[in-house]
Amino acid sequence: MSDNNKAGMDDLQMSALAASATILVFAAIYWVVQIQGVREMLDMAYG
Amino acid sequence: MSTSSLGSYYRTMITVAVVLLAMAFLFSSLRIDTWVALKPFFEWMGTTWFGVIGTTWGAAFAVVEAFHLLAMALMGGAIIVSDGRLLGIGFSEMDEREVLDKSHKIFSWGLAVVLLTGVFMACGVAMKIYYLEVYWYKMLALLVGILFAYFVKKPLLKKDLQDISPLVRRAVALSSLVVWFSVAGAGRWIGFSG
Repeated sequence: MSDNNKAGMDDLQMSALAASATILVFAAIYWVVQIQGVREMLDMAYG
Repeated sequence: MSTSSLGSYYRTMITVAVVLLAMAFLFSSLRIDTWVALKPFFEWMGTTWFGVIGTTWGAAFAVVEAFHLLAMALMGGAIIVSDGRLLGIGFSEMDEREVLDKSHKIFSWGLAVVLLTGVFMACGVAMKIYYLEVYWYKMLALLVGILFAYFVKKPLLKKDLQDISPLVRRAVALSSLVVWFSVAGAGRWIGFSG
């Protein structure tokens, strides 16, 4: 494998990891906020 | 880090730049400005042939919706097969390259049908979905899913699969599942919203 191919491969994996991490973190925060909202509503409704 | 080594990470830098631009768009007034600016477009969508047929002929809307859901099921199946194979939880007796290539082809056909039927359906209920927050979540997730599938996942999987780190494989498969299940979930939520 040439240096160029190796660098390209690393770049592909790095960009895929960056995009995946962003999606997973964003989804985790979104669902935590949604679940907290539902729990607060349930607390208000049933104490 | 030297300039040349930074240059070899151009794809990563573009990915980070796209993420930052998306964040800036989501957390600024630009998002609301764009939404307001799109209102005339949605009003126009309702006046097109698709809009008139979708509004006045319920049977046509229902038939197109059936194909929309069937194509979503096809896409969902392709995504589960492809990402399940990447995670090593299914189809492990089959050649990985063959599974990934064939599932991507099915995914692309399913996506094309979903988009075509989706445009028709959107015209039929244009002003309803314009004011529906969950519709915009679905569109955001759909856009992220398409960009991820064609500009991140596909180029990565073109490479020799043995050279891809297990961490990257799992992260890509998991995030792909999360994005497409968000699209499907938001679509179902639109149905619950009257």
